[in-house]
Amino acid sequence: MTDDHEAVRDLLAAWAFGALAPADEKTVAAHLAGCESCAAEAARLRETVRLLDGPPPAGIPERPATDVLSRALRERPAVPRLAAHAAPYAAAVAGLKALLPEVYGRWGYDRWRAPVVHDWDVHATVAHLLAADEHLAVLLGIEARVPPSRIQEGTGWEADWNRRTADVIVHERRRSPEKTVAAWSAQADSLLASPEAHDAELAARAVTLMGLRLPVADHFLVRAFETWIHTDDIGRALGLSVPAPPRDHLWQLVRLAVRVLGLALGPTAPPVLFSVTGGEEWVLGSDAEPVQAELTLDPVDFCLLVGGRYAPEAVPKGETGDAAAVRNVLERAASLSWL
Amino acid sequence: MVVQVESTGDTSGRPLADAEVHRRLVYGDESALAEVYAAYGGLVRRVAVRVTRSPGGAEDVAQEVFAQLWSRPYAFDPERGTLRTWLSVLAHRRAVDWVRSEARHRKDAGADDSALQAIPDAGPGPDETVVDRERSLLLHTALAELPQSQREVVHLAYFAGRTYRQAAVELGIPEGTAKTRLRTALRSLAETLADPPDPALERGA
Repeated sequence: MTDDHEAVRDLLAAWAFGALAPADEKTVAAHLAGCESCAAEAARLRETVRLLDGPPPAGIPERPATDVLSRALRERPAVPRLAAHAAPYAAAVAGLKALLPEVYGRWGYDRWRAPVVHDWDVHATVAHLLAADEHLAVLLGIEARVPPSRIQEGTGWEADWNRRTADVIVHERRRSPEKTVAAWSAQADSLLASPEAHDAELAARAVTLMGLRLPVADHFLVRAFETWIHTDDIGRALGLSVPAPPRDHLWQLVRLAVRVLGLALGPTAPPVLFSVTGGEEWVLGSDAEPVQAELTLDPVDFCLLVGGRYAPEAVPKGETGDAAAVRNVLERAASLSWL
Repeated sequence: MVVQVESTGDTSGRPLADAEVHRRLVYGDESALAEVYAAYGGLVRRVAVRVTRSPGGAEDVAQEVFAQLWSRPYAFDPERGTLRTWLSVLAHRRAVDWVRSEARHRKDAGADDSALQAIPDAGPGPDETVVDRERSLLLHTALAELPQSQREVVHLAYFAGRTYRQAAVELGIPEGTAKTRLRTALRSLAETLADPPDPALERGA
């Protein structure tokens, strides 16, 4: 037998499935006419496909998408329509809710105790978000879901913040992870149902949280930022890659982070032309001197740097000019210690 | 101090379509689900009706498949395969399950509970004998249990109408590998017919 025989034999399954290109089709037909053993194999395989096929279907009625979509939306509601400043938080909450069912492994075990970040496991990370969202919730008149902490006077926002997270984690440890998730989720839903999430004017009021006096609208973005970063942390702990937020949302986060970074650098820092790939450029630092360096970061990398997920020297970057001026910007960005 | 210089506009490349759809599904954008349905609803129903032989069954399967994609978006990983293949494989699996559960509902109390012993009303049509319908279900059950790598290429070549070369490109594997996987898969299906597994043994395994 010839090489043609072997080549055709390899093609017979594709032939039986009708998955040959026209040129292959000819080769096979020519060979089958003269090779009994291939013809027998071909007949056997095609009979198998014929049985898979069954009789031609009577035609599938075209159904409108509505039945399929409404069934899906009953199982997982769509994200509520909100003012632009609250949309990234709504999406981030939906993203974490979509991830958490994956905590349950395929063989009936769960991974609530999987280490995530700092000394938190998945359960504690959700408890931390419950604590972190609570500060904005309380300002908007939403009742706290965990008994209050004893906050000592004059210790600064960071100490209070850490204390609250520690207390909430201790509180939640006594409950099941499912209860913690339900509490986080209900509080997030209350934030998203608040008038401030629907009305840009109401959200223009400035309040101080995490040592930052910003409009409520920006604090909603900070919540989105932190929720996404921790969702990404949990994803890594579960071996799942969490997609970055949708482009529009990502850029809302980037712009806010640039503003906060500008405030942190102050008016006298050596000026650096800062660009974020695919979008905008800013001059950070003093506007009284010529630009001393240029720094380019990817938007996701910039967010991860500001979120404390990159060391300043490790973040992938493009830079030219004065290395010390660039390092100053990177170190300041990493030290914002938001999360 | 921040001074915005200028907007350089959108220079980012367009991400792979499946990854972008996955992002939108994860973040709860229901318009992404409607787009996926518009693109792949036909394929899902085609696969489902092949197995169930029932428009009602195909509808049940389609609803279940898209509900699963929407409510558990992380079950699909765009780094590990295309959405088309994933939906096709899931629809097939669910359709085989649908036939089994229909059979269980219809069987008489005390009868053998093998799915293949109880033919749903939906199958065999006037052009199909009872024996052929049984054999068809046996084959689809075996297909649903092929190794993932073989199943994917069968789905592309058979249900999605790709040539084996196109399937190789879509799966990112050499053409020879696609050919071999099709061959291994179809031969093992053909052998299922020659030597049907004992249903009782299968359940015990």
